[in-house]
Amino acid sequence: MIATRTIQLPKLAVQADKLGPFRFERMAGKVLLTADSGEWHFLSEDDFAVFLKGELVAGHPEYEGLAAKGFIRAELNPWDLAAKVRRKRYYVDYGPHLHVMITTLRCNQGCKYCHASRTDMDRVDTDMSPEVVKHAVEMAFQSTNPYICFEYTGGEPTVNMDAIKLSVEYSRELNKKHGKIVDHSVVTNMTWMTEENAEWLMDNGVLVCTSLDGPKDLHNWNRTWVKQEANFPKGLEPADHNAYDQVLHWIRYFNRRYVERGRDPGLWHVDALMTTTRKTMENWKDLVDLYVDLGLRNLKIRPLNPYGFATKTWRVIGYTMEEYLDFYAEVLDYILELNQQGVQIQEGTAAVFLKKMLTPDDPNYVDLRNPIGSGTGQIAYNFDGRVFPSDEGRMLAGMGSDFFQLGELGKSSYRDLVGHPTVRALVMASLLDGLPACHTCWNMPYCGVRPINNYMESGDLFAQRPNTPKCKEHMGIARLLFERIANDTDGKIEAVFRRWTINRSRDEDAA
Amino acid sequence: MSDADSGELQELTYATDGTRVSFTVSEDLYPRDAVYGAAYLFVDRCFVYLSRPGDDQVEVRLKPKPDGAIQDLDVLAGEFANELLNQVIRIRVGESTAQIREYYMAKAFFADANQTSIDALLAELDQEELEEDPLEISVPWEEEG
Repeated sequence: MIATRTIQLPKLAVQADKLGPFRFERMAGKVLLTADSGEWHFLSEDDFAVFLKGELVAGHPEYEGLAAKGFIRAELNPWDLAAKVRRKRYYVDYGPHLHVMITTLRCNQGCKYCHASRTDMDRVDTDMSPEVVKHAVEMAFQSTNPYICFEYTGGEPTVNMDAIKLSVEYSRELNKKHGKIVDHSVVTNMTWMTEENAEWLMDNGVLVCTSLDGPKDLHNWNRTWVKQEANFPKGLEPADHNAYDQVLHWIRYFNRRYVERGRDPGLWHVDALMTTTRKTMENWKDLVDLYVDLGLRNLKIRPLNPYGFATKTWRVIGYTMEEYLDFYAEVLDYILELNQQGVQIQEGTAAVFLKKMLTPDDPNYVDLRNPIGSGTGQIAYNFDGRVFPSDEGRMLAGMGSDFFQLGELGKSSYRDLVGHPTVRALVMASLLDGLPACHTCWNMPYCGVRPINNYMESGDLFAQRPNTPKCKEHMGIARLLFERIANDTDGKIEAVFRRWTINRSRDEDAA
Repeated sequence: MSDADSGELQELTYATDGTRVSFTVSEDLYPRDAVYGAAYLFVDRCFVYLSRPGDDQVEVRLKPKPDGAIQDLDVLAGEFANELLNQVIRIRVGESTAQIREYYMAKAFFADANQTSIDALLAELDQEELEEDPLEISVPWEEEG
């Protein structure tokens, strides 16, 4: 039986020729307006109606704020907006800065969500050869970006420490000619670390990032360390065959040695990452407390990615994006509560969004920018010399599809790689200004879509954005942050958020 | 200005059989892009079917997906109606500000200091070519030797 009903819609009056460009969304009982420049303004529902009618004029308490941000046509300065947009999206003028080197696929652990298509420790054929290392470094230096960062990952990258050493030393040699600003960063599970390697990494200014998923039971459950002799570094006592204990030992070791070397601990310290599994959601408070206890100042909450083993173990470790966002909100609010008590810790994903929302700049985080950084902000060099637009493209190749391969070191030129049709397609599929629904979305100035994730999940680089987990995640997190700002009557939350947007340069500590 | 933004009260009728809702939307009242834009935002929660029952009319049928995210069809209908209004605002503002956006985006990415410096460099080279031509490159072949 079919019933027919009628909806009375509220009156709508729009005097568009009085308005500047804006996008909008209702949240926290208010209306949020956002601009291409990243600036934003909250209005009450009543003021929004007046604004739409073009009747919000000089003398109104909201007028000056709206006018300064380009929302009032009569006061709009297109040159000012152009300068702001250019500053916000400066990265489109530069080539890739992040150069990911997969030094080996060998890994001594077998994490339940492993994204990295690992191999066992006897598979030395998956080590990056010195020739490939040199080719990769030479390619990275051809980037038009004056800043480049080498990120060593794997497998467990320190298993092929020789490749890391060669890359650092060879890049130092090449940089005498190029004069770029060069960083090196290793992403290690810390269970293959030795004092010799640790000291070498510190001697050579290689930043260290590790994985710490939470308290002992959780970390060891997520990050399986199979009891086989080949998985343990020589000399490690059986009593120490515990991944969690090893991570804590080495975090403390590095952080102590940085201080002993006279480094500013605010700038030189081990960074840690976590990956959320279903088990994490039961232990979120312990996770935050652990990071605080260890003196880690950045806790970056990350969801599972649809790559590698995670696709097979999803039934056990997976969750819906709605469940993830509920978990994220609990962690965020707890971290905010700790900040109010004077504890210095930030949530890393929020910090990326907040830099976009609260400053005139952009953090150029390659996975959350417009367009995405794949091929234009980063390049990944596989152990065998194959080149991909990002580590995700390489992971997909590890699962059997070389769809995103751009070329091969020693055969492809820099122009072949960055001008590859695949890179162009990735740009087009992630340029929010031209994507239906994204181009009118209030979150566009702060968002970024992930075409390779889309391809993994739907077989389509573009995908239907509302159906993608990343759309829900990014919109959900941005909404949480704006809601907290909207409800921040005494300005204390915004003060904390602004502190999270401050990045100090390690140049300050050049000792 | 269309009726949708004239300030008059609007009525929107929908039909439901308990499993889905359907609207027949007049393009005289709501631009087609507004209908498409609103419908697109529901693809995560509903199966969306569009058809053309008559001239200048679009029928939108929303059938909730079986994940149980939508329990109340009347709420769904209300959300779609509100989104239709939001889309009308977005389209009106988008059309009215299109030229301004194109101008400042072009200015931001294609026409600032870099362009000026290239123009200046080319002008400088032109000037040098006129002033100095030791190889007499500017001399036409016909006039040589």
